[in-house]
Amino acid sequence: MAGVRIQYFALLREQAGRSSEETDASGDAAALYDALAARHGFTLPRAQLKVAVNGEFADWSRELADGDEVVFIPPVAGG
Amino acid sequence: MTTFEFSRAPLEPSQLAADLADPACGGYASFEGWVRNENEGRRVERLDYESFETLAIREGERIIQEAIERFGVRHARCVHRIGELGLGELAVWVGVASGHRAEAFAACRYIIDEVKHRVPIWKKEHYADGDSGWVNCERCAEAAHHAHASGHAHDHDHGQGHGHATSSPVAVDYSRQIALPEVGEAGQRRLAAASVVIVGAGGLGCPVLSYLSAAGVGTIHIVDGDVVEASNLHRQPLYGVGDIGQPKAHVAADRLSAAHPNVMIRAHATRLDAGNAAQLLALGEVVVDCTDNFRAKFLVNDAAVLARKPAVLASIHQYEGQLQVARPDRGGSCLRCVWPEATRDGLVGNCAESGVLGPVPAVLGSLQAMEVLKILLDLPGQLRDELLLIDLLGLRQTRLRAPRAVECSGAGCARIHGLPAPAPEDLELDLPLAEAARRGLRIIDIRGAEEIEAAPLPVEASLAYAQERLIAEAATLLDPSARYLVVCARGVRSLAVAERLRAAGFSAVHSLARGADGTRRAR
Repeated sequence: MAGVRIQYFALLREQAGRSSEETDASGDAAALYDALAARHGFTLPRAQLKVAVNGEFADWSRELADGDEVVFIPPVAGG
Repeated sequence: MTTFEFSRAPLEPSQLAADLADPACGGYASFEGWVRNENEGRRVERLDYESFETLAIREGERIIQEAIERFGVRHARCVHRIGELGLGELAVWVGVASGHRAEAFAACRYIIDEVKHRVPIWKKEHYADGDSGWVNCERCAEAAHHAHASGHAHDHDHGQGHGHATSSPVAVDYSRQIALPEVGEAGQRRLAAASVVIVGAGGLGCPVLSYLSAAGVGTIHIVDGDVVEASNLHRQPLYGVGDIGQPKAHVAADRLSAAHPNVMIRAHATRLDAGNAAQLLALGEVVVDCTDNFRAKFLVNDAAVLARKPAVLASIHQYEGQLQVARPDRGGSCLRCVWPEATRDGLVGNCAESGVLGPVPAVLGSLQAMEVLKILLDLPGQLRDELLLIDLLGLRQTRLRAPRAVECSGAGCARIHGLPAPAPEDLELDLPLAEAARRGLRIIDIRGAEEIEAAPLPVEASLAYAQERLIAEAATLLDPSARYLVVCARGVRSLAVAERLRAAGFSAVHSLARGADGTRRAR
């Protein structure tokens, strides 16, 4: 298990009801998103999002390590 | 040497250029206007030019003087033919000599544009069918005629010297920005010679327009097909209640021209689309994306990449924003390096559905203006190959490296092969809902329950489905032989849905242009 810190933006922040949280993760970034989507009721499919780990965009298959900073970013279009 | 004159004899460009020779000049730019064989679909065989010469020469000399003062060029001159001209003949020549090329190009462009608009010259066209007609300053007359017709595609010029702009005896003093060692007099001249295209004059567009015109950016093109709405005013401080219903591009241009008469503001009261994007982006050296939907954002990005032009892109959502600068001119990353597949509208909320506080677009728009100035002035620290995330509620800023996609190399983007084909003309229908119902269109309301409650449709919808369900279950929900009109609040989501339903084989699906809100206002 890896302890990770997560930041949410836009629609994900709204649906999670918070802008960040800390949680335990096992496996890759995709597994983490799927688990959080089930917990918070995220409606955005993973294919429409980007994930960044420690300040860099990462693949969904990125294995998470203890202390990782994970950011899920939905596209936004308001102007 | 006179600076503006008429000639009855053919022009000799090499002789005219030689007259401008000056050892202090490192740049010379010229423009030649030739007699073309066609105008508005009619074949032209020859032309007669006439002018009210005393007045025309006075106005022409004034234009040349303005160009010399504004752009800091050393010499400028314009000669216009008069009398009968055959096809291909040189009708007008402009030459500018200056220390450097940027001012020469900009002054040359300014002179020909102003001469076309302000100098009283009449042109009689003789057509192949034996007919003939007089043409004079038609763009001006047409633009004025349509000044209050929203959504109509036309240009109109605002700014100093357009004949009806007031001239101010006090000039803008740029000393506070010239005092910056990185800016200086040379930087100010660079800004005066620059041209920027701003797509969208809403929440992001207002600060971008305000700060770039205040900084003295010489030419600013505003592209926006919307009219001012009451719901815009809390976050778009260029507009007031008296402007409601007026085209944003014109209102913004009028306000900014009055405040900064030395800046040329051009209003294009039209929506950017695949058909006009290349032409509109060609008007500036930097493009600023201030639009509010994915369709437009990807179009700005793709057109900028194809034109190898810097694009400064921003988007907001509630209390947050994203900022990215695409530098296809420098081999940098673009919007599709982050979002390879253009995101569809309707997936995440927009300002109408999700809400927004005014300072959020103000902050992001100000950052866009700053990045534009950094590009124009070649300042250090430009955002490049990065995505900047800003959360104004938590006051957090996150910078993510967004390098160029590995499959892109050389110039261009591996995912952009051209602009999308323009949407079929009948995809969007602009008509009152009652009329649509009379014509037998079945209305599908895809708005959420709260939106429907806040603004019920004037006619009863035949169907009401969330857009995801409508698309997923279209085969069972829709009758392939029926005609449908999809309705949302502003016409953005409904357009995306109508497009997808057509792609799924429902060829008689349309989207209500401007949505339920837009058509209600128009009634």
